[in-house]
Amino acid sequence: MNYKALLILNRYKGGIVGVFLLLFLVTITIYTLLNIPSSERAEWNNPSYWINYPKNAAPFWTNYFMGIFDQKLPEHTIFTMNDAALKNYSEGTDYKIENRTFVYDYDFQTFPPAFSIPYSIQVGEIPPAVEISIKRPDGAAFVIYYNSLESTYTGIESQNRANETEEIQFNDEPLFENQNRTSKDDPTTNIASQRLFSSSREISESLSEYTNSFDFPIRGLPAEKIIFSDTKNNVPLQGKYEFIFSTYSFDDDTKVKDIQWIIEGKVHGLMGTDEFRRDISFGIMIGTPVAMFIGITVAITSTMIGLFYGLISGYKGGRTGGFMVIIIDIFLSVPTMVLFIILSLNYGKSLLFLIGLFILFGWPGLALINRTFSIQIKNYPYVEASKLMGESDFRIVLRHIVPQLIPFTMANFALSVPAAILGEAALSFLGFGDPSFPTWGQMLQDAHFSSAEILGYWWWIIPPGLMIAITSMAFILIGRSLESKAKLDKKR
Amino acid sequence: MVDNIRLQVVSTLSSSLSENQRLNQFDNIEQRQEFIDQQINIQIKSLGLDEPWYSPKKIMNTLFQILTLNLGNSRFFTTHEGSSSVNDLIIEKLPYTILLFTTSSLAVVGLGIVIGSYLARKEGKITDKFIAGLASLSLSVPPWWFSMIMIVLFSFFLQIFPARSTPVVPPDSPGYLASLLYHMTLPFITIVLIGFASSIYYVKYIILRVIEEDYIKTLGVIGIPPRKILLKHALKNASPQLTTILGIGIISTLGGSILIEEIFDWPGMGNLFYNAIIQNDSPLIIGLVYFFTLLYLATRLVLDLTLSMFDPRIRTEDN
Repeated sequence: MNYKALLILNRYKGGIVGVFLLLFLVTITIYTLLNIPSSERAEWNNPSYWINYPKNAAPFWTNYFMGIFDQKLPEHTIFTMNDAALKNYSEGTDYKIENRTFVYDYDFQTFPPAFSIPYSIQVGEIPPAVEISIKRPDGAAFVIYYNSLESTYTGIESQNRANETEEIQFNDEPLFENQNRTSKDDPTTNIASQRLFSSSREISESLSEYTNSFDFPIRGLPAEKIIFSDTKNNVPLQGKYEFIFSTYSFDDDTKVKDIQWIIEGKVHGLMGTDEFRRDISFGIMIGTPVAMFIGITVAITSTMIGLFYGLISGYKGGRTGGFMVIIIDIFLSVPTMVLFIILSLNYGKSLLFLIGLFILFGWPGLALINRTFSIQIKNYPYVEASKLMGESDFRIVLRHIVPQLIPFTMANFALSVPAAILGEAALSFLGFGDPSFPTWGQMLQDAHFSSAEILGYWWWIIPPGLMIAITSMAFILIGRSLESKAKLDKKR
Repeated sequence: MVDNIRLQVVSTLSSSLSENQRLNQFDNIEQRQEFIDQQINIQIKSLGLDEPWYSPKKIMNTLFQILTLNLGNSRFFTTHEGSSSVNDLIIEKLPYTILLFTTSSLAVVGLGIVIGSYLARKEGKITDKFIAGLASLSLSVPPWWFSMIMIVLFSFFLQIFPARSTPVVPPDSPGYLASLLYHMTLPFITIVLIGFASSIYYVKYIILRVIEEDYIKTLGVIGIPPRKILLKHALKNASPQLTTILGIGIISTLGGSILIEEIFDWPGMGNLFYNAIIQNDSPLIIGLVYFFTLLYLATRLVLDLTLSMFDPRIRTEDN
């Protein structure tokens, strides 16, 4: 018995691998649908959603390999307000100083690509002053930013001001998701929000005062290459850095709402990030249900149409059947890829349209196969017998022919899923995908447009394509083993 | 379409007006504009553009233009000589597409026949499974993604081949052919790699079926060496199916060529088509679709004819 089971296992090895791949995909689909709400799914194209992420970062696990060669790349680090290691608070006669210190242990061989400091402060009647300084491991301390905020702030105004002075793109999106701006009219809750970038002019101006501390010219160097640099050569200085954010406030209403220190890294996340700071694993996860939906919808519909069309044309025969075959031939003699491009160019970029296209050109091949079978089965003695007994054609087809074709239809179904998924990926790659959510083809298109191949961003190219390959592989393996099973059944 | 005509009429009129003093006798600018509008209306009337799309005049006109291969002018693209005619553009790019895709299809089928017939004779379980697995794998991997991977591998990490396949040397200089072949290598390798496994798989399947037939088995009993049987008899009898594989291979690469050419920046029709789509150059798109379809149908026709030549069984019963 056990031996027999092993034999069966051996025969359908491919099918079992396919089922495991399918289970893997179904797990991702369910996980995505449960854990990522649909509102978040639409954020893929929203740049401000991704602003805290690094640009073109490799997956974090590459550092395990790079660590062997002592070439670790800086990791993306975000310090939130709760991470402030040290809080001290001193009070003068008419002012208060609040210090928040973030300790960052830096032990990488390369400079971080950038950093940014978003903060928001609730401003009272007298506006506070903000100072940002850095204590380096060699004992030097730099003040990189000092600004006294202006009075009568609203969040939007301060952002506009930032726009003018610092050449930073801002939109009306809040910098922090949990920021509550409903009570903006209340004068005591004016909130000044700003995001300082390492490229901000104010930072580079403050840094230019420390020219004498370095043995090499720092003029024109980006801020992160000065701050994290050794004083003798322009190489990274390892050790404990302290970032200090101080506010000088003059009344009781002034409160720091939120601060973050974002030190952009070159590695982040399971699959890295892309040119637009988007997390690639997020796109992969959202792409899974979309691909499954496309594949399965197209496969079910086109298999059904193909089955019944083929059955009818084979069973009817004669002139009607001949005419139906001519229609199939017309569909088959069209170069589909070219036609798909021309149609989606003219009639829009919606997912349902693409699905319709794949159904329209997916059924003729299946219909042709089913037609041959139905001609064969039509001439079986028992079918002819039931015909003589006066059963209606409809009943004969449904009761005698369709059940015979079920194994093959299942195999056809499985084999036509990958065609739709590959087709959708190719069309999305050309830019005809539905832009409202990411698909794997679109991710590859973005990669190609950003020249990811030439710049060597392999983490942006491999995962989407691999997912396409895995999905179609799963269905091909299952389809093949179903097909061989159907053939075996027939021999018996 | 009307915009195109307007552009054409205005450009030809303005050049002839500036040259011909006798025509250029307008009192003011409105009169001149009126004259141009009149000319445009005459053109629209003569082409039947004021009528609905189903009007016979318009359809016959379009059909005539297509039959005489008058595909119009591209809006944004020109050939090396500077002609913007769609025909010239296609004629310039067609040889590149044929060069890459025909040679690689031949290589894929050649590899398939050599290795496939060898494997058919050898009957090795492990190699069989390996080839079958590779074939399923190459069916499920999108060729264009594989191309991107190949570029990352060979152009970024190993730096053997250039990432962009358009040769940097101008076409009329002496080193052009060498440069072209060097730039062609990476796309060629990619297409061969993606296709050879399934080609071997199918060839082996076909040859095994032919070898199983009685007349081939008899040859073995007579004492003809198996190598000779394979080369002289089995391959000959399998040739119709092998031709079908070759044809299907060429046809399927024609469609896929758009993406692969675009990714490698190979200067062929597919790349031109992709750029035309991006720029929304409608005359060029329509012309290229027409040509792709023609090429596709021609390949199918040639395939059918060669098949009937190889295999007398396929000929129709009528003659």
